[in-house]
Formats: sequence, C-alpha cells, structure tokens
Amino acid sequence: MFQNITDVRQRFQQEQYITSDEIATVVYLAQNLCKPILAEGPAGVGKTELAKVWSKALARPLIRLQCYEGLDESKALYEWEYAKQMLYTQLLRDTLRSTLEGVSTLAEAAQRIAQEENVFFSENFLLPRPLLTALTSDEPVILLIDEIDRADVEFEAFLLEVLSDFQVSVPELGTISAKYQPMVLLTSNNTRELSEALKRRCLFLYVDYPTLENELNIVRLKVPNLSPEMARQAVTVVQQLRNMDLRKIPSISETLDWARALVTLNAKEIDQETLTNTLTVLLKYEADVQKAKRMMGDGGSRRQGGGSYGRPNR
Amino acid sequence: MDDRIVEFIRGLRAAGVRVSVAESVDALNATGIMGISEKEAFKASLRSTLVKQADDFPAFEQLFPLYFGSGGPPLQNAMDELSEDEQNMLQAALSALSGRMQQLLDWLTSGNPPTKEQLEELARQAGIRWANNPGEAQYITRRMLRQMGFAHLEDQMRELMQKLQEMGMSQEAMEKLTGIIQANREALSEQIAQQIGLQIAQDRAERPDDLHSSDLMHKPFESLSAAEADLLRKEVQRLVAQLRSRAALRRKRGAEGKFDAKGTIRFNQRYGGVPLEIRYKKQKLKPSLVLICDVSRSMHAVLEFMLQMVYELHDQVNRVRSFAFYGDLAEITVDMANMRADEAVQAAYHAVPGGSYRTDLGRSLMTFHSRYLSTVDSRTTVMVLGDGRNNYNPSRVDLLKDIQRRAKRLVWFNPEPRLQWSSGDSIMEEYELATDEVYIIRNLAQLAAAIDKMMAHG
Repeated sequence: MFQNITDVRQRFQQEQYITSDEIATVVYLAQNLCKPILAEGPAGVGKTELAKVWSKALARPLIRLQCYEGLDESKALYEWEYAKQMLYTQLLRDTLRSTLEGVSTLAEAAQRIAQEENVFFSENFLLPRPLLTALTSDEPVILLIDEIDRADVEFEAFLLEVLSDFQVSVPELGTISAKYQPMVLLTSNNTRELSEALKRRCLFLYVDYPTLENELNIVRLKVPNLSPEMARQAVTVVQQLRNMDLRKIPSISETLDWARALVTLNAKEIDQETLTNTLTVLLKYEADVQKAKRMMGDGGSRRQGGGSYGRPNR
Repeated sequence: MDDRIVEFIRGLRAAGVRVSVAESVDALNATGIMGISEKEAFKASLRSTLVKQADDFPAFEQLFPLYFGSGGPPLQNAMDELSEDEQNMLQAALSALSGRMQQLLDWLTSGNPPTKEQLEELARQAGIRWANNPGEAQYITRRMLRQMGFAHLEDQMRELMQKLQEMGMSQEAMEKLTGIIQANREALSEQIAQQIGLQIAQDRAERPDDLHSSDLMHKPFESLSAAEADLLRKEVQRLVAQLRSRAALRRKRGAEGKFDAKGTIRFNQRYGGVPLEIRYKKQKLKPSLVLICDVSRSMHAVLEFMLQMVYELHDQVNRVRSFAFYGDLAEITVDMANMRADEAVQAAYHAVPGGSYRTDLGRSLMTFHSRYLSTVDSRTTVMVLGDGRNNYNPSRVDLLKDIQRRAKRLVWFNPEPRLQWSSGDSIMEEYELATDEVYIIRNLAQLAAAIDKMMAHG
C-alpha cells in the first residue's frame, strides 16, 4: 500500500514511470476510497502502462481483461469446461455403472445420476476467466479492464454490477464474493460515450499527451543512450508534430521508438536526412509524412538557412 | 471547508456539469483523505471525483480558482513606508482631491480595499445582474474600475505628485509611493475580478433553473428559443445513449432465433458429437432505414432533431439512406460525424433541387419511385417526415402504397396534431392509409419514444 502521494510518485519512478501530480493523487485516492479508476485519453499515452506499473510498484499480480466487440460474460467471467467433463465421464464410466447397479427403470437411473450432479458442476470444472480470477484470488490484485469503450453496452452494464459489489453469482455454485477487493483500472480511448452509471462509480482520470519537460524526462529515463541535446531536439519535433493537423498524432510510445531509432542510427543531429529516413517511425500515414516533411523543410530552411532542424543558430 | 466544496458543486451544476449526490460524497471523502494543504492534490481529488467528462474540464478550470483561490494578491500599505512628515504631506495632498478620486487613492495608498458593501454597490451599478457566466467577470470588472475612477488615475497621480513635490517630499519617497500605488492598482483589479467571478457563479447557482431540460423535452419544437434548442441538443446526446443501450439490450435479450442444426453439429464435434451446446441462428434485428424528409421551413426544428437522433444511432442500424424533398426530391448525404446537426440540415437545404419552392410530395414520390426504388427492400423501414400539407398538388398515394408494399414497414412522423389534419391543404388522412404507423411528434419526448418504438419493430 502507498503511504502518501510522494510515495506513489517515488515507487512509480522506480518502475520507470513518470507520474503527474494528478495521476499520483488519483492512484492514491483509488487505493483509499476503494474505487475503480477510469482513465481516458488518446491512444498511446501510457494508460495501460499505468496499470502494469501500478502492479509492479505494489508487487501485486496484474490481471488483464482486454475488451472487444462481442465480448460476453462467458469470456470475461467463467466457462464450464465441457471437454473436461466429457473426459471425466468417460474415465469414470465404471464407477457410474456401479452407481447405476440394480436400477430397473429409466426414471430411477436419471434420479441417481442427478444426485451425483454436483460432482460435475463443481469448481473443478469451472474455467475462470479474468474477472473471476481477480475476484477469487488469494492475494490482492490489480485488475486492468482495457479499452472498455470497445465492449458492447450490455457488457458495460454487466461490469457495473461486478464492480459495485465485487461479487458474482454462478447459478450452479451460488454467489462468489471477492476475498480481497481488487484495485481496478478501466481504460477508454473515448471511441464511444460510456454510460453515466459507470462513470459515476469511477474516479475519472484524463491522461493527455505530456508536456515538453515531462516527455523529455520520459525519454531520458527510457532511452538513456540518447544524448540530452538530441533528446530535447527530438521531443521538440514531436511536440510540434502534435500541433499539426495529422491523421494520426504520434504517441509517447512512438516518441520512444523514434528515440531508439536515433540511437541505433547513431544520428548526431536531426537534419533533413535523418528526418526523411526515420519519420515513418513517428507517422503512420503517407499523407502525414508528406505534410510533416513540407512543414519541417520550410520551417527548417527559413529559420536556419540550412538543412538542420531544431538547432539554435551558431 | 466542506461547505465551500458543497457550494462549489452547486456552482458546477449551474455551469451544466452533471454531478450526482454520490459523487459529491466521494468528493468530500477524497478531500478528507488528501487534506487541503497541497493545492494540486486537492484540485486533482475534486476533479477526479466530480468531473467525468473531458468536455466539462473548462467549466471546472474556470470555477476552481474562483471558489478556492486566494482572492487575489493583498494590497500594500504605503503609510508604513513613509516617514511621519511624508505621511502628513500625503494626507494633506489627498484631502485636496475631489470626492471620488480621494476615495480611490485612499484605497490604493492605505492598503485597505473597498468594503464588501461598497463593492456590491459598485457591482450592482455595473450591471452584474445581467451577467450569467463567470467569463463575463472581466467586462463587469472593467466597468466597475471605470466607475471607481481608474480612467483618470494617471492624471490624478501626476497632480498628486506635483502637489507632493511642492510640499517638499523627497524624490525617493515619491518614487516609492508611485510604485506602491501601481502595484496596488494591479492587485485591486485582480481582487475585484475574482470576487465578481465568484459572485456571478454563486448568483447563477442560486437562480432557479428556468431552462430545465426535462420540461424542455415536452415543449413543442416550434416554440423553442435558440438557447433552449442548444440545451436540447446536448440532451439529445444523453437520450441517444439511453436509446442505444435499450436497443442493444433488446437485441441481446430478444428471441435467440431458430435452432441451427448445422452449426450445432459442427460446434459439438469437439465433444465427440454429443450435442452439449446448442447453437441458434441469430436473427438480424438491426433495421435498415430510408429517410424521406420534408425540408420546408415549417419542418426545420423537428427535422434537425430527428436527423441528429437517427444519425447518432447509426451503429444500431444497418444502413441509412436519406432523401430530402421540397419541390422535388434529392438524396442528401448527411455526414454527421464531421458536422453538427444544424449544419447538416443547412447542407440538406442546399442539396434539394431548386425551382418550385412549394412542397410537392406527389412529384417527389414520383422521383423516388422512378430513381431510388431499389433502396427499398423487404428489410427496409421507410421513415417519412412531413406534415402532409401538399399545397393542393396531387398526392400520388398510389406510389406511397407501392413503396410500403416493398418495404418492411413504412412509418410517418408528423409534427401536427391529428385535429389539424383535415384542415387547409393537409391530406394527411389520405397518406395515413398507406402507412403502417403514424407517430405524432411535437416535442423531443415524443420523438425519442417514436424512434425507440421504430427501432423495436425493426
């Protein structure tokens, strides 16, 4: 458990995750108010990473439920393992025969089998899916429900019940309630509006693209081989790209990829040539690449009269 | 502090942020845990518990400093910096000024800001009553400062300095005095601006909410004011979310469909052919829609809301083709993803062929029948939006009947009550015979109910 906000920030930093004040506060509150966090924001700003780091910082297992269209209760909660049941029935054929010894009518046989039904609908044959795993775990866990906006509305309603009482009912077994209430992080890319009921139950955290300084810290932490000056140049370029009207704005993970690419290529400065060679790491659409080149080419030559970009005049 | 937070929540609600009671309790608990000493943490705990939508952040950012700010920098006392002689000189010079300017310079030199009553009086004169948004605080503040005499402050200060110089005040003391007055002037306007912003926010929270959305739902479209229509547009979003979850649940809970023999055999191969799990053929319940909308002036208000609703529900229907008619009919492509509903309606107007500017459904039906009949098949629901007033043109009900026969259903949305149907040029009763159902939609509540019903029937 975290002692206070500073503790949150330090332990996250140890796991190489730079937190803003807001993230640290919300994580601390989630722990103390026992409420799920709903993290919203553009793709690739580290929402999923937050859960991973959270679990590492507290040394608790992470259970991940990836949402997609068509996800239903049986895939999220539990399934009966029919194949295993079949196998057992085959293996136990002799025992079953002895159970049925001396039976004369079909009705009587069915009744005897029915008495043994519990054997086949016991937890042995229950295949737990992420939600049930999180609830029945013997130690507290972090539950990551990723991209909830991709799941259907009815799944969201079902999730609401689970998240409000942390218990589920399996008709054959009865109600199973959580031994330890898991800490829950839901992420959403906001592709659709989530229901108000779900939002009401969560702490809302909007994760945006980081500021220049924060992003620079992230790059320094994750790609220590890149020289500080190069890092600053690279981050400046990315920040400028984010202000452009692009089809897909580069995310933090793409900044890091680019930084690594620059290290690999042993680039000394970000000039036109380096840009042309590596821009595709940042931008994933040809139209975006063209647009960015035009902008950089113009801006660069006008400002510095040469090919290099983002360097002060000397 | 809790009272202040509750007040802040009221302010947020008045600004249009939806905060439930449970969320208020969360906010109080959260601030209880975080304490109030660290401002950023305090702010983050309020924001994460109260504001659940990124659209509402600006309202939060605007109100937070007003309710929990320092109230602006404090004023300095010039007298402390001056010797006794100089103080007397200043007093004498001040008393020679005219009433209003004397008051102002007194505030700026003594370090005592105007009292609450004085400020309220000034604010009242500046017309704070008419302000409805803390964003207007700047404007009100400027007016108040003008009333207080800020406009003449430069002149007066020069005069004051001259007088002090004549009295023999040292250059150094005068410079110090000028500096303090300048600093106080900034501080005072900052203080007033914050106070006014807070007051506007509080007044707004006190005011009975005359634009209540649930009442507006039942207000006829044609009598909506622009502000009310704006509010309703927001409401439509929530309404659509409700409709969507209902439609999705209906599809889930609805009849599972017929037994799927082929699927069952194939699926149960893994259990050695023992049919442990039964498969069903899922029925396709998502309807395809063809919209035929009257875009004459009289239909403007209702058309906009209907288009918005239908297009926001696009993920619940298979596909939508829309046509607009006036004098004649044309296909309109409504790009709701990139356009606001009212803009889309404007675009629809431009798409309609010119020529006769009198509604002629008969001719429009002819165009539809000859050119677009292929869009209608047995899975299509045809929606006609119109008031059934045809300017005494031929009705061509026969064509509508033909369309109805081809379609799964043909429904008509009419904004006129049944009583008016047979008056004037209305031939709605004639058209009614060629429809499966007519929905009267005079307000948003009726429209939502009608669309929900239509989705249910498919």
